[in-house]
Formats: sequence, C-alpha cells, structure tokens
Amino acid sequence: MNERLANRLKERRTELGLTQGQLAELCLVSRKTINTVENGVFVPSTLLALKLADALSVPVEQLFWIDS
Amino acid sequence: MSYRPQPDFDRPTAESVQRTRRATIWIIPAVILQQTTLIFGHGDVFSQLLGAICWTTLTIAELWWLLGLPFRWMSERDQAILNDEWSRSVSGDAARWGIATAALVGCGMMIARIWVALDAGVAIFALVNSALIVAVARSWWLDRGEPGDDE
Repeated sequence: MNERLANRLKERRTELGLTQGQLAELCLVSRKTINTVENGVFVPSTLLALKLADALSVPVEQLFWIDS
Repeated sequence: MSYRPQPDFDRPTAESVQRTRRATIWIIPAVILQQTTLIFGHGDVFSQLLGAICWTTLTIAELWWLLGLPFRWMSERDQAILNDEWSRSVSGDAARWGIATAALVGCGMMIARIWVALDAGVAIFALVNSALIVAVARSWWLDRGEPGDDE
C-alpha cells in the first residue's frame, strides 16, 4: 500500500497572505521545516500538525489527509 | 561586582547558525583526514597533544551537528528553531546511517583479520571515523541548500 500525507498548507498559507518564514515564526520552527512539509518531503508530528492548523485557523483534518 | 550587558548585535541567531552549519560541514571530513597524521604519526609529545585536542574539538563539533546541542545563551525561539523537527529528523537519519556504517565496517574488519593482522588503534580510528564521515555526509545531503523562494 502506497500512502502519503497530502496537505493544503501552501494554499491556506497564501490565502492568509503569510510567507513560509512568517508561518515558521508562528510555530517556532525553521523555514526549512515548513518548506519540507509543504512539499511532502517531511511528515510532521501530531504536535506540529496541530500547531500549523492552529496558526492557519483551520481544523487539522482540513490541512492534512492521507492520500492513497 | 557588576557585569555589562552583552550587546545583541554580535549574538548568533538561529538562522545564522543554520547557515554556518551548512557552509562549514565539509570541514569535519577534512579535519578527520588531517588527524590521521597527528595520531598515527608517532611524533613527539606536542604532536600527540595536538592530536588529542583535535579529536576533542572534532567530537564537540560533531555532537553539535548531529545532536543539535542547545545554546544556553540563545533565546528560546532560536533554540526551538535549531532543534526543530526537521533538524532532529535529519540528525536521527544521519545517526542511523553512521551506526549502519560502523556495523558494516566492524563486520568487514572482523572478516579481514582472518588474513591481515589489524592494529587496534588503526581499527578503532577507521571504525569511528568512517561512521562519523558517513553520518556527516548524510546530514549534509539531507539538509543541503536553502529552501526555495519564500512567497
């Protein structure tokens, strides 16, 4: 089974007019973390996923989902 | 006794430390190779002392690179960024590669000693440093380059 974590991080971030750097500041992580999560290179922990959802004011399940 | 508060301008930030890490990581393999002559050169006491200092310095530098040792003088924000999930993930992956290398080199040396008499010092040096070089190389590969344009 080939499952991956898909996200609409970039879409939601740009909707709010935030840069990767600004989102990184809000979540206290590096811009590289935001960049790699957005590009699907890195799967964030539940803690970071919840922080991202909170910073972007959306429920976490609207931000991340499993793409089979 | 009173202390003058340290000015902010010369303190490293999380971003400057990350840039330094990326820019200077190639130094570690270079120092390891250079150490060889110091440690196994059978030189005088000064050379041996220099070798020991080099090894200690290198160990501290590698622990910083691989484990993300915290900087107590940095703000909580900078410490959090330097030890964030991506950094820990890279360190963990690099450490796994280093351990796998040590296992393979160790196994290879155990087989090789059937035919070749191995010096203990050389064997330890090869085992430890091959693992470190692979870990550093893996860390550099995963963390290479700045992320693309921020929009």
